[in-house]
Amino acid sequence: MIQPQTHLNVADNSGARELMCIRIIGASNRRYAHIGDVIVAVIKDAVPNMPLERSEVVRAVIVRTCKELKRDNGMIIRYDDNAAVVIDQEGNPKGTRVFGAIARELRQFNFTKIVSLAPEVL
Amino acid sequence: MASTSLSASFQIRFSASSLISPHDLCHLSPHANGWKSSHTTESYKLGRTIQRSLRGSSVVSPMALAANASQDTDDMYDDLFKKYGKVVYKSSDQKSPTAEADDDAECLSCKPFILYTSASDIKLLFVKPLVYWTKFFLITTAFSRPQIDAIRNRINDLAEKQYGKFATGDTKANSWTLLDFGDVVVHIFLPEQREIYNLEEFYANATPIELPFENEQRFGR
Repeated sequence: MIQPQTHLNVADNSGARELMCIRIIGASNRRYAHIGDVIVAVIKDAVPNMPLERSEVVRAVIVRTCKELKRDNGMIIRYDDNAAVVIDQEGNPKGTRVFGAIARELRQFNFTKIVSLAPEVL
Repeated sequence: MASTSLSASFQIRFSASSLISPHDLCHLSPHANGWKSSHTTESYKLGRTIQRSLRGSSVVSPMALAANASQDTDDMYDDLFKKYGKVVYKSSDQKSPTAEADDDAECLSCKPFILYTSASDIKLLFVKPLVYWTKFFLITTAFSRPQIDAIRNRINDLAEKQYGKFATGDTKANSWTLLDFGDVVVHIFLPEQREIYNLEEFYANATPIELPFENEQRFGR
């Protein structure tokens, strides 16, 4: 349940540390974003001496949410944090490695690149 | 592992009990119970030992025979499972990567595309042991976006015509173009991106599969 003003952790090595969602892409008037949605976010905190800087506006894919993700088989996945991976306009991740476990639903949303960089897929 | 060895144990026990049945005590045909070829010699040895132990015993009634044999042979079975349990498991459950590659005809589809599009530095990785969601990674380099587009179109056409598969993933040329065919995932990189993302290093534990046409001469470069 990510909405504008939600702060998210960054789950890659792009250089950003914390994002704040400012818009959900893909629908004109949607209230919440879930795993696999693209958001526009602003970088609230960044690692020094990296290409991404504070207050930069980027796109990101949500990879983990505290809100449960329900599957058709009855499985429910809930993470400890809200996390996103920074991507560019073409959909390529800006970092080169993804940290932490991510959900396999990302593959169905055509983010196989993020899935192939992840160490663990649930 | 445990369940497989258990089933193997049942198999051997069942066969052994049929071996010491009064009908064919001396009849030792290894293939009678459908033993696999890898077990043949072992089953033969097993039968021999059982036969020897039976000869030594003075009791002839079949019930007593079975009890005696089970006492004698239990330890022997355990030793056998310790020795060969792993082998049984491996031969029945796992195939070698190259065998899997041969099974999967889609892997062969990379051959025409390399011959016609001059994609370079092709690597085929068997990633099934590392990730559950796919079996093979095909990583290649192209030197321009039109070339990426050409490779992408050619692979798509080929997959569609020969295997009836459609790729998900990128729909237009990208610096990292990914085609997802389910069991085979094709990554086409520009040289710079290939170095940046360095997928080969990330999947360094995957088995690289030799491509049969690696030594053939390519044109265009």
